Amino acid sequence: MTAIHQAVAGVGRYDAVSDQTRAWRRLLSTDGFAGGDYAARIDPRVRAGFRPLGELEPDDGDLIVIRYSAWSRGLTALLGLPNPILLVYHNITPAEYLWNHNAGLGVQCAVGRIQLPMFARRARVAVADSDFNAAELRAAGAADVRVVPILFEPARLVARGRPPAGTGPLVLVVGRLVPNKRHDRVLDAFAAYQRACAADARLLFAGEPLDPVYRRLVEGHVRSCGARNVEVAGALGQAELNAAYADADVLLTLSEHEGFCIPLLEAFHFGVPVVAAPNGAMPGVAGDAALWTDDDPAVTAELLDLAVRDRELRAELARRGRMRLEHFGAEATAAAVREAIALALG
Amino acid sequence: MTRPEDALAHARAEAARKRATGDYPKAGAAALDGSIVSARPSIELLSDWAVIEGDPELLLYSTRRAGAPVTALKRMIARLLRQYAVEVEARQTRFNIALLANVQELERRIGALERAAQGRAADSGRAGPAAGPSATPARPAATREEPRGSSADPLA
Repeated sequence: MTAIHQAVAGVGRYDAVSDQTRAWRRLLSTDGFAGGDYAARIDPRVRAGFRPLGELEPDDGDLIVIRYSAWSRGLTALLGLPNPILLVYHNITPAEYLWNHNAGLGVQCAVGRIQLPMFARRARVAVADSDFNAAELRAAGAADVRVVPILFEPARLVARGRPPAGTGPLVLVVGRLVPNKRHDRVLDAFAAYQRACAADARLLFAGEPLDPVYRRLVEGHVRSCGARNVEVAGALGQAELNAAYADADVLLTLSEHEGFCIPLLEAFHFGVPVVAAPNGAMPGVAGDAALWTDDDPAVTAELLDLAVRDRELRAELARRGRMRLEHFGAEATAAAVREAIALALG
Repeated sequence: MTRPEDALAHARAEAARKRATGDYPKAGAAALDGSIVSARPSIELLSDWAVIEGDPELLLYSTRRAGAPVTALKRMIARLLRQYAVEVEARQTRFNIALLANVQELERRIGALERAAQGRAADSGRAGPAAGPSATPARPAATREEPRGSSADPLA
């Protein structure tokens, strides 16, 4: 049987691209496809499942799934192989957010955007996980773009670890600690919320930091913003993250650039109301199931207060969230993945 | 109950009311605003980036579970190779600065050309109505005939 290999620029413990690579592999294995998953850079904490990209030697006719979220010389080299290519576009963080914080990643993102048209033209099938990403892919020259959402797996949200400490309303922020997520704006809004609405409120940042320097920068913002009860937890294990969702009163995201934003679906799964900035793919993913805010920290603070205190509003948001989850049902998405693969295999 | 569709308007009204009574400070810039670079960075910022100066204490770290000894080893190696790294950084900086100087010179010349073109367009506009519809616009023709290399030619 034809093998299907997946290739990514980098793999980490907890990030959307790595998780989706693993989720697709589980699906492919279920369907009887052989093949491996390869990455140009592998976080040393990732113990299994990925091999260095340089070791990828596909047989004739094998399908290569390129998950594109940053530049890597190894990914570009794959375009020269005769194998069919299925491109999955996860979007690329604009380098403007990164130049002053991690120039190396900024280069990968800047070159990634420059080379996107090359990948879009070469792919036999081009897939984006959101309408927002599909529009960018079309603009890059892909002729026929299919939207295949994130493979959302509720089964991994069952295990429960230790919940966060404290008792006040818990505002949860989930996502990598990177500049485009605007943790500074979150802190300003949370400080305003604590000051005007809930003095005992807690804020938990769950997510892998860009690097130690950026983590220290955010911790400095925590000290200077005047807020209390703020924890910068770093990456949480799945069980601890699930416990945080179960304990949370509201999920807050003020990110300025998102290719999908899986935490929205996770919050819907747990029935946690969402307050978000209407940026990137988020309006398309959450639809009418989130409270959309603007740039004013006081407005966000008031929305947090509504989301925490208004029980009927919470129930309505939870109902709408469940409806959005149905839209991203695992079976429908798996069928869309299978269809894209069949098309790419010809 | 507040409907989700009405929540933003409600929040804005409450925020304005509480801001008027001093519960909320006036909205200002967020901490990261200044660090997000525009899609086309300024010459001043480029000149800052042109100087390559790595700091092993800041740039080297390890994400491994017991990463402290690995980080210490990386920093020690960086210190041992400092002489080599400084020379490589200096050569890259030399190229960056030279390139930037050329970009600045090109920008200066383009600016001068644009100003000259605007000046000609303004002169032509002034000459037109005063001389009447049948008059020949003499000034632009004279400008075009200026020899290359004259002080008015920014490409000199």
